[in-house]
Amino acid sequence: MNKTVRKKPRYSLMARKESITAYLCLIPAFIGLTFITYLPLAGVFGIGFFNWKGLSAPVFIGFRNYIRLFTTDPYFIDSIKVTVYFAVLAVFGSMIYSFYIAMLLNREIPARGFWRAVFYLPYILPAAAVYIGWSWLYESNFGLFNYFLSELGINKIKFLSDSLYVVPSLALIAVWTSGNLIVIFLAGLQNVSRVYYEAALIDGANAFQRFFRITVPCMTPIIFYNLLMSLITNMQVVVPALALTDGGPGNASMFMTYLMYRYAFKNNHLGYACAISFVFFVIIAIFTAILFATSKTWIFYEGDSK
Amino acid sequence: MKQIDIKTGSYKSIKQSRKIADIASMIMVVIMAAAVMLPIWWILRSALMTNAELYKYPPDFLPPKWRFYNFVETLEYFRFWLYLKNTMTIIVPSVIGGTITATICGYAFGRLEFKGKKFIFSLCVGSMLLPNMVTLVPLYIMWSRVFGWADTYWPLILPHFTGGGAFSIFLIRQFIKTIPRELDEAAKIDGAGYMRILWSILVPSIRSAMIVVALLLFISLWNDMLQQLVYINTPDKFTIAIGLNLFRGALKADWSKLMAATCMSFTPGLVFYLIGQRYFIEGIVMTGLKS
Repeated sequence: MNKTVRKKPRYSLMARKESITAYLCLIPAFIGLTFITYLPLAGVFGIGFFNWKGLSAPVFIGFRNYIRLFTTDPYFIDSIKVTVYFAVLAVFGSMIYSFYIAMLLNREIPARGFWRAVFYLPYILPAAAVYIGWSWLYESNFGLFNYFLSELGINKIKFLSDSLYVVPSLALIAVWTSGNLIVIFLAGLQNVSRVYYEAALIDGANAFQRFFRITVPCMTPIIFYNLLMSLITNMQVVVPALALTDGGPGNASMFMTYLMYRYAFKNNHLGYACAISFVFFVIIAIFTAILFATSKTWIFYEGDSK
Repeated sequence: MKQIDIKTGSYKSIKQSRKIADIASMIMVVIMAAAVMLPIWWILRSALMTNAELYKYPPDFLPPKWRFYNFVETLEYFRFWLYLKNTMTIIVPSVIGGTITATICGYAFGRLEFKGKKFIFSLCVGSMLLPNMVTLVPLYIMWSRVFGWADTYWPLILPHFTGGGAFSIFLIRQFIKTIPRELDEAAKIDGAGYMRILWSILVPSIRSAMIVVALLLFISLWNDMLQQLVYINTPDKFTIAIGLNLFRGALKADWSKLMAATCMSFTPGLVFYLIGQRYFIEGIVMTGLKS
């Protein structure tokens, strides 16, 4: 198409001018990629090999930070488990919740725009305020949820100070704020061609068959995108620990990012915190790689789209 | 003929069952929407009540008396206006700088030809997958030790001047690619320079994408707490997120005032949302479908 027409002689003045303009335009991106992204990433890797306590000069100690992390650190192994546990609950919870709501909104209902705005609303509230507000609903004696439980004749639960319940309780808040996923799912559902459904109806496919044979396959690219973004967001969870739990009770909400924050900024163990960051990076990279590697087997691209 | 009979016959029943399903969905939507709104209502209603009223059993779903005065009282302890001003001091320049640089960089990737474009672009896309929590400590060392900017807003603002994050650049690029090339070719023949083309031809057509980038930046800054906590130490410089956290620590069990402060922290975002609702939703859709 246009591209072939536009090809110009390689070293023409125009082309040189064009590339100089492009490099000038990209100066902000160059600075960002260098100093905000890739150098700090290399820095995480490098500083992880040093014992660097705040003001004193860093001392090279090889892998000792990593050895300490995996052998004697009282928090680290727990923090991996807690973070993955939270991410799994939050990701699957919000995927199912938002897909379900999007399916409902995709039907012919009055004032769809209004309802969509309602479900989207929690997403734009500031996270710290959301968690603090919800902590009142979770309060152990007078909170709303404990009132509901007592109406059902169930004993009161200390949602945020019982190590069994704290992560699911926080994950529920994360699900509640996933309105952005609903909007993306809904837009995707509206792009699924009606023709498929009509053909399936004439062939006598029931609602379940239509859902699993048409809706889900057509939505797989969007499911993949939402899964990836939701995973990266929820693995980085830190605000609930900062605003509410301080990692407690015990280590029950000691998320990896929070642990890294504590070592770096409360105890001034900069090298050690970088070692945590690096392990955290590797874990997320593994999850992302698995997602990408398996994606080819389950993502379905319609012939006409890219 | 038989076939048509079956078709029309089943079509009617399909229509009917579709209607029933629509009504059932509507009912579920109302129930779910009520459930989603309940926490917000509960926070607001608690902000309008005294602590004594809050500890009553069974709790009232409507405040017995709407005590708006509670907000005024809370403002005596919770420095909302200061925190709002501080938050905006970070957000406004970040959003403006991020949107402008994202547009310029997105233009280079979307329209201009240059050596190494593929490679640089893939570096950009790769950085989208890098969680920004990972680089927190080295960045802190850079800003506080190298530049000496601890306890200032610079470390929170300046990173956004590098294209507002790879995601913003990517969004603008995708959008510019949908604008027909003929427009800027024509301008080029008329003698317009590259910046002139960007400014007077492309910017007007991608205005909605730019608003979307601005709003997404706004949301991410609005949701941030960790970075602000890391860089800001002086209470006079606190933002809404860390100010609210400080307030919570200071009064522990005064739920009535804490909920009033929480409500106040909700409002600026809500106001922006009501004004720019269309763009908020469009923006999220764009992020999902363009990538």
